[in-house]
Amino acid sequence: MQNNKNSSKLKMQASRIMKSKGMGSFTATLLAILLGLLFGFIVMLIASPANSFNGFLTMLTGGFGRLGDVFYFATPILMTGLSVGFAFKMGLFNIGASGQYTFGMFFALYVGMMWKLPTGIHWIACILAGMIGGMLWGFIPGLLKATMNVNEVITSIMFNYIGMYLVDMFVTNNASMYVPNLTRTGYLPTTAQLPSLGVPNSNVNVSVILAIVIAIILYIVLNKTTFGYELKATGFNKHASKYAGMNDTRNTILTMIIAGGLAGLGGAFAILAPTGITGSSMTYEPINVIAANGFNGIAVALLGSSNPVGIIFSALFVSHIQRGGTQVSSFFGYKPEIIDVVIAVIIYFSAFAMIMSSAVGRLLKKRSRKEAVKELEQTLSSEDDSLKEKTEV
Amino acid sequence: MKKFITVILAISMACFMLTGCAKKQTFDIALITDKGNIDDKSFNQGAWEGLDKFATDNNITHKYFKPEEANDAGYLAAIDQAVAAGAKVIVTPGFLFEVPVYQAQTKYPNVNFILLDGAPHTADYGTFKTEANVASVMYAEEQSGYLAGYAAVKDGYTKLGFMGGMAVPAVQAYGYGFLQGAEAAAAELGLADGSIAVTYHYTGDFAETDTNKASAKTMYQEGTEVIFACGGSVGKSVMAAATESSAKVIGVDVDQRYDSDTVITSAMKGLGSSVITVLESIYKNKSWETYSGKTTVFNAANNGVGLPTSVIGDANANAFDRFKSFDKTAYDTVYASLVSNAVAPIRTITIADATGVATAEELMTGLNLVKVAVQTR
Amino acid sequence: MDNYVIEMLHITKEFAGFKANDDITLQLKKGEIHALLGENGAGKSTLMSVLFGLYQAEKGKILKNGEEVTINNPNDANRLGIGMVHQHFKLVEIFTVLENIILGVEPNAMGVLQKKDARKKVIELSKQYGLQVDPDAIIENISVGMQQRVEILKMLYRNNEILIFDEPTAVLTPQEIDELIEIMRGFAKEGKSILFITHKLNEIMSVADRCTVLRKGKYMGTVEIKDTTKEELSRMMVGRDVSFKVQKDEPNIGEVLLSVKNITMPSKINKKNAVKDVSFDVKAGEIVCLAGIEGNGQSEVISAITGLERVKEGTVTLAGKDITKLNIREKTKTGLSHIPEDRHKHGLVLDYSLEENMVLQRYWQPRFQHNGFIKKKEMRDYTEGLIKQYDIRSGHGPTSSARGMSGGNQQKAIIARELDKEHELLIAVQPTRGLDVGAIEFIHKQLVATRDAGKGVLLMSFELDEVMNISDRILVMYEGEIVGELNPKDTTVQELGLYMSGAKRSRKEKGHAK
Repeated sequence: MQNNKNSSKLKMQASRIMKSKGMGSFTATLLAILLGLLFGFIVMLIASPANSFNGFLTMLTGGFGRLGDVFYFATPILMTGLSVGFAFKMGLFNIGASGQYTFGMFFALYVGMMWKLPTGIHWIACILAGMIGGMLWGFIPGLLKATMNVNEVITSIMFNYIGMYLVDMFVTNNASMYVPNLTRTGYLPTTAQLPSLGVPNSNVNVSVILAIVIAIILYIVLNKTTFGYELKATGFNKHASKYAGMNDTRNTILTMIIAGGLAGLGGAFAILAPTGITGSSMTYEPINVIAANGFNGIAVALLGSSNPVGIIFSALFVSHIQRGGTQVSSFFGYKPEIIDVVIAVIIYFSAFAMIMSSAVGRLLKKRSRKEAVKELEQTLSSEDDSLKEKTEV
Repeated sequence: MKKFITVILAISMACFMLTGCAKKQTFDIALITDKGNIDDKSFNQGAWEGLDKFATDNNITHKYFKPEEANDAGYLAAIDQAVAAGAKVIVTPGFLFEVPVYQAQTKYPNVNFILLDGAPHTADYGTFKTEANVASVMYAEEQSGYLAGYAAVKDGYTKLGFMGGMAVPAVQAYGYGFLQGAEAAAAELGLADGSIAVTYHYTGDFAETDTNKASAKTMYQEGTEVIFACGGSVGKSVMAAATESSAKVIGVDVDQRYDSDTVITSAMKGLGSSVITVLESIYKNKSWETYSGKTTVFNAANNGVGLPTSVIGDANANAFDRFKSFDKTAYDTVYASLVSNAVAPIRTITIADATGVATAEELMTGLNLVKVAVQTR
Repeated sequence: MDNYVIEMLHITKEFAGFKANDDITLQLKKGEIHALLGENGAGKSTLMSVLFGLYQAEKGKILKNGEEVTINNPNDANRLGIGMVHQHFKLVEIFTVLENIILGVEPNAMGVLQKKDARKKVIELSKQYGLQVDPDAIIENISVGMQQRVEILKMLYRNNEILIFDEPTAVLTPQEIDELIEIMRGFAKEGKSILFITHKLNEIMSVADRCTVLRKGKYMGTVEIKDTTKEELSRMMVGRDVSFKVQKDEPNIGEVLLSVKNITMPSKINKKNAVKDVSFDVKAGEIVCLAGIEGNGQSEVISAITGLERVKEGTVTLAGKDITKLNIREKTKTGLSHIPEDRHKHGLVLDYSLEENMVLQRYWQPRFQHNGFIKKKEMRDYTEGLIKQYDIRSGHGPTSSARGMSGGNQQKAIIARELDKEHELLIAVQPTRGLDVGAIEFIHKQLVATRDAGKGVLLMSFELDEVMNISDRILVMYEGEIVGELNPKDTTVQELGLYMSGAKRSRKEKGHAK
């Protein structure tokens, strides 16, 4: 009897882990990715059947040969992903990560090119400037949402355009930043560029470490602090959080400022990256295009279930698939545009599948219903016992 | 759950089986696109069409590569990718590749680079060096401008305009050629002295701005019939002004007829033909030395400049349909005179101003203009 | 042999080893009103799903008029003349009454909708059974009672002979309940058979002929109502004796705790005021009940006190402190505990675990956080203590998801949270709504205990039994005003009903002359 009880306890423990939230969303993510890959493969199959198998394989494995670049390109989307995911925890859909990213990038660029600061301090100042730029661009939609209940989706979409056009205007009108005959910004001084991690043939730099640290800090804030507790409570149920006396206005503004700051850091990390070419640097082209990294952030956040640690991995996955895609278009008879389509299909189908994860979850539940029912039975029988006790008393 | 694991296992099994037979392809000739796409109706497309034609005709594997990011590092990384994919010859269209090619020429000494419209140099412009494995291709902009000016006046336009970006050598050459072409056509038509009026203007930038559009609009309102827009995105401003004023534009660098109906012709660089010529030197004539390690100027003699003579996507269309009377025959005649060197437009003149902006007198005397009266602003 | 229209014999339905229905027999006679009684989770819904073809039973069979039938889907059920009014109506909100009734069986000629005939039939049916509806009203604009009549008409329109009502009275006012009971009796007289799912014993006693009781998936028996009592039924249902009379002593009334003065609140539906110049006091040691038919301003009064809505005019004083303009957190600190009307909307964060919900009102206190970091261990220990003290049952103890808990245990959790934190006044809004007798009994005891501990309790309830049993003083609201102040000992349910319906008023508001 005692033995039996113990073993059933163990089983319950195990099934608890299997069914825990983290595990559930992890399997859901895996399924979503598989679904995305399947659709991507179908596109490749249609585009060029002969190359599809080898090409698809390269798609999956190509990134491993360029790990430095996988991390390098993952950094900005990790930041925009965190931005979207963090706001989402509070029930805000920050579609304006692109604008915040661009604004952060501009602030970093400005401090990098216009200020003369000593080595070792300059790039840090640039990063902070980028964060402030993003925060500013997150603050306004947050303020409008909190005080006048203007839908943050609409404002932040509009702020993507306003931000992008403003930055393009600021850049083109600044003779010391803009090189007109190359239609792009000039080179940043070396002092403003981030220290490289020294991986050969890759621009991967300290920002990836910073980004991962930020993600972990966010995870702690969300899960261990009263602030995170309030944010999540508001995100899950804003009526209950109001009932519990939480300050919705303040939290909304704060969340959007933080989300903006995260996206702004992404922009700063991208523009401040070293190039490995003496005297050269990253450059920005004011060609009236909204930063794609902002939108990829949405996919990254969805794929990571808005969990900061999950987002680290989903950003790496997206970057990995993109690098693999470059390999495919290099080595196989696919046009780069087709590969762009395949990458987009994989990323967005995966993200889409995550949205549908309730359906996926149901699929999984069917399989584990057996265990669930058993557990229910146990609870019922224990209730029975306690009822008996009561009647006896 | 079991089913799910089975599926994953099956897929990974399949992956393992396939790794065994995964075979990479190689491509001999590669083109790296710049920030635009391959169908940008500009440098990428012009260069790719030449490359594609040559490689297809000669059965050589070829491919274009899209950089993962549009900056020096991204361009260099794309060159790395192309080399990894087996490229022996890499074509880089445009001056944005000057710094990346400077890096790549020593990194890959066994790969040949064809750099169009630029010369390799360091990021700070401190060192210009073209290694033996690089062919730097420049274009005789003055000849192209000459053809445009000649065609416009021959077609009956008498009030012309020139809007350059900044007074850099390429833009200056276009402008000087344009004036000389107009002069030559006026002389042929036996027009009186000063009967062709040209308003000559440098905008000071290469951007699409409201100021540039306003300048163009003012010119049109003053009676200018056609403006040679010669400065990157300045063209967009001029085309916008032309649309509003129902006036005409002459495009630059590539055939810009597709950008706006107002574009009657374009002073082109022969990107495709120059790419073909250099590729032939490698694959056919074994005469790479002709171009290697230096900058070669392509002109009418080797099909390096010209006005558009065909319409992309329509073999039967007439590329001269936006002219009133000027046609292919007239064009061929004037082109032949450039090829035979019977006419040789001047590329540089003496200018007092350090910024390179010429006065009306400097233009009139330096270019020996009689029929054409220049007014600058 | 009796004349049974539907027999469900020895039905067993397993969900992977767990018997939701274990050898259950239900026999429905022609022309009878048959109640199906059981606590939440007793297997009533499963049994009905089997009857509707949503589930297939492992064992047992279903007979219609003595012949065995198979029901594989709801269409089969419909063909056999079985219709159901669900607890949550299945109506298209933006359609008219008529459109909803004919939905799915639209009369058409060559694909063109023929509404005329349908309208005639609907009007006839509504006259015949006294089901007053306006065929052209839009569903979202009509009252809940009216919507229920539409659901009933839907069954009649399809000529259903066996009518199933799933907890039909949960959403109705006392008057509407009376009407419904009349209608059901009418049906039975017509020869239609009615299956009436409920856990309200009073209703069963007043309307049903027979009653089948389920407990934890097992068949407890079928009894003739005329031969049984409420107590016996509840014993069959719960498995033990349940007391319906709340044990409480005379109140020990103290100082005024809550003082509401001249409160006016705007209406959300129209431009009128939902609360008009209302004033009252709640003293320490008494339970004051705010009674009335839903929508007469009680909710708005509560919102004004708790701070969920901003007060338009008037003042609210708690323990001598003016709290009218304080934010909710400050009100909480002043000593206000609040069991909200909607436990899913306000009371709980359903996606949080039980322990996270238990600190919802006090996570900011030094006991539960240090420098902004939540003390997980303290939170867990605290929750475990409350689970024991209040007998909150859930799958995984403190870490169970609030969403997965039963309604009764969710409510217990809220009550535990609100009672355990420091408070002077407890506001309990419909604390027993939708709960079964066991849970109701528990909650009533807690309310009385709170009162006896010298706190003030302001109760808002639509359940007349609850109002009469629990409160020390009743304030009846009608159209935004307090129209009567009654002592439950000196009044009857009938008199209370008169006040609630506005037929009688005794108390002039103090500021009414204004």
